[in-house]
Amino acid sequence: MTAPRQFLKGNEALAYGALHAGLQSFYGYPITPSSEVPETLATQVGRPEYPEFRTFLQAASEVEAINLMLGAAATGEKTMTATSGPGFSLMQEGISYAHGAELPMLIANVNRAGPGLGNLGPEQTDYFAAVKGGGHGGYRNVVLAPDSVPEMASFPSLGFSLAFRYRTPVILLTDAFLGQLKEDLEFPTIESPTFDTPWAATGARGTTRHVLSSMHIELPEQNLVSRHLRDKFAEITRREQRSEELETRGARVVFVAYGICARLAQRAVRVLRDRSVPVGLFRPITLAPFPRDRLRALVDEGVRSFVVVELNTGQMVEDVRLAVDGAAPVRSMNQFGGLLPSYRDLVDEIGALAA
Amino acid sequence: MIAASAPREAKFGPSSIWTGTPTHYCAGCEHGTLTHLIAKALAERDARERTVMVSSVGCSVFAHEYLDLDSVQAPHGRAPAVMTGIKRAHPELLVFSVQGDGDAASIGLLELLHAANRGEPITIFMVNNAIYGMTGGQMAPTTPVGMVTTTSPEGRSVPQAGYPLDTTKLVASLEGPAYVRRVFFPISPTPAPDFFNARGALEGMQAVRHAFDAQEKGGFAFVEFVSTCSVNWKMSVLDAKRYAAQVLAPLFPSGVLRDRFGLERR
Amino acid sequence: MKTEVILAGHGGQGVLELANWLAYFHLARGRHVAYTPSYGPETRGGKVKCYVVASDEPIDSPIVEEPDLLVAMNIPSMDYLPLLKRGGRLLVNSSLVKDARSRADVTVTEVPAAGIAAALGPYSPQKGRDTSIAANSVMLGAVLAIEGEELERQRATVEEVFRHFLTERKAAYIPLNVQAVEDGYRHVRGAPPLLRAIPV
Ligand SMILES: Cc1ncc(C[n+]2csc(CCOP(=O)(O)OP(=O)(O)O)c2C)c(N)n1
Ligand code: SF4
Ligand SMILES: [Mg+2]
Repeated sequence: MTAPRQFLKGNEALAYGALHAGLQSFYGYPITPSSEVPETLATQVGRPEYPEFRTFLQAASEVEAINLMLGAAATGEKTMTATSGPGFSLMQEGISYAHGAELPMLIANVNRAGPGLGNLGPEQTDYFAAVKGGGHGGYRNVVLAPDSVPEMASFPSLGFSLAFRYRTPVILLTDAFLGQLKEDLEFPTIESPTFDTPWAATGARGTTRHVLSSMHIELPEQNLVSRHLRDKFAEITRREQRSEELETRGARVVFVAYGICARLAQRAVRVLRDRSVPVGLFRPITLAPFPRDRLRALVDEGVRSFVVVELNTGQMVEDVRLAVDGAAPVRSMNQFGGLLPSYRDLVDEIGALAA
Repeated sequence: MIAASAPREAKFGPSSIWTGTPTHYCAGCEHGTLTHLIAKALAERDARERTVMVSSVGCSVFAHEYLDLDSVQAPHGRAPAVMTGIKRAHPELLVFSVQGDGDAASIGLLELLHAANRGEPITIFMVNNAIYGMTGGQMAPTTPVGMVTTTSPEGRSVPQAGYPLDTTKLVASLEGPAYVRRVFFPISPTPAPDFFNARGALEGMQAVRHAFDAQEKGGFAFVEFVSTCSVNWKMSVLDAKRYAAQVLAPLFPSGVLRDRFGLERR
Repeated sequence: MKTEVILAGHGGQGVLELANWLAYFHLARGRHVAYTPSYGPETRGGKVKCYVVASDEPIDSPIVEEPDLLVAMNIPSMDYLPLLKRGGRLLVNSSLVKDARSRADVTVTEVPAAGIAAALGPYSPQKGRDTSIAANSVMLGAVLAIEGEELERQRATVEEVFRHFLTERKAAYIPLNVQAVEDGYRHVRGAPPLLRAIPV
């Protein structure tokens, strides 16, 4: 690279970010608008720059991909896939099994529009599937939401840290806009941490063997395991809530938005602050665990109401309402079908609130 | 998926099945040819009111915009299951789908083989262009060894991705199917033959007719059309046809592999 | 410094390339940049529309809703004229867009991009070939002139842009594209095309 800074698509940044984070294997199946992730990685496998990245395999389907990852993760390998809605649906069974056996892995979902085939425009309609868990048996994903190309590059590292620290699948939830957007970025000097994986199934040693299973046929045993999973997510919720704020100090109204909507809201906040309207932006970085503590604190700091902006018919707004718990009104602003709102819609919404 | 080509009524004659919407297929793409052959075959048997098409996911996905038929969208690869559901509910219907090689031989291989093995009376046309056309040129299970695609940038290698999958042979290895055939579909580029004189189109037309006949006689019918995708092969249309003749034709030889009702003898 | 640009045209005109080059030029000047390719319904039917934002400050929204500059490579691109900021600039490819209607508050610059590019034929290493494909580079020069860049001082940056994007076999086209940028720039500044020696 001659230029000091790089100029990459979100999906490319995600691929390189994962490589910098020490990615060892990628299993996936092509689907627009995520295909640049496997296409970028296919050019890098076996390169001396990334000696750890040894396996790139295009699976026969997303069902196969997630199960290939179950195997890779069971050996303690850093493994990842990238997909979009229809593929994410097919992966739900495997994700459930990964939770049952506590296997770390990174799953990027570049959210496209609509149920079924829908279209290739950006949406945030997979919020529920990612945050509430789209598969069976009651598990909780950790869900990260980047809002820029630099974050697409740095979040794989964060994702792997959380995945291995808590032995959990981590979802990187992004959208068709951020996947295709190109921005300048300084490649973060991401450390590629190695994690202790004494639980990995790589052969029994002496009296220690490794049984990675989600089947607990004795009822009390399943009860214990489910308690453990519950307590684990409670600990994650205590320790790992992440968010970012813009101009929330002195704000009366605060936008809550993630991903590309957070960028639109940034613009709206700047415009409104120039007109001396006291508004701010609260951006959840972890959609799960939802950063409810900080959001709730905003009410005590004087925020009178919240406006949730999202590309669906209203999903995150439920978590915002839970966090605020009736202490302030929460309004919902939506756009969907692959369309984006204008920042002016956001500005007008505040105008209506102020009036 | 780039250029829109004008409908070819002039050459095929107006078909009661054709909507007249200009197609989205790229110039020279066999998807367009096959869609026309299907329209013609269905018009011949006046089957519009007793036909349901199942749309698969690939460049065939917009077929309902050109074929004036009832149609049902299947998820990627699942068309044979959706077709079975329709056919079991309404055995009098003529049910068919155009699947891509990725759709049928990768993600949907299980549905294809089981429907074939049960001998479901349905008709499947598989366009084998050796690549994922719709999503921009990733490797397919049918991609020849050495072919460069966006997910095999150094060319398909056997240790990495195995050998090209012979879907027609797999289907024909089962007892269930009644009619199994493979057609080399690209029209030979020299010396600029009239479209209808081309062997691929004639054979294709016959195969489409027989595949519907077989279904009407209660059998499972599968026809593979060895095709091109010049755009994603990154070749001119002519070079793509040539490449298909040189590389794909020997890899996927034409022939009738199953003809339980003796349709070919008549 | 902050500029927001909409570039529009149809497939095959090199609009996305032009937008990438423009963004990379600003990146090489040390600015933050955001480039959004056509997406969603806009991509059907061969329409191309993309956004480039460049700024000394970090960029909030990469979506250009009120551009400072509209680059209209064909007639349908003029549909975006109402979006232009008050007092904005309109750059039209007058090889395709004749008699550009405009708004009273908008300054129009017409550049016969294909013509300027084609005239380079004999002087470029591609002599004898049709060089009108470099029309998008002519437009890059025009945009840089409108944005107030001093090309004399930024020649190395322009070369860096092309070295980044035109690699391997395409590298042979770098001199032609640099020439096209120069002449596009000069056209907007009211200067005649550069006198060049015919390569032997
Ligand atoms: C579950 C799921 N995964 C991936 C996709 C993306 N996808 C759409 S079409 C396609 C492959 C198309 O290739 P093929 O079946 O060979 O058809 P062609 O376009 O080449 O005719 C893929 C992977 C999808 N729609 N659904
Ligand atoms: S299969 Fe290939 S050539 Fe045919 S329409 Fe699709 S992309 Fe175009
Ligand atoms: Mg195909």
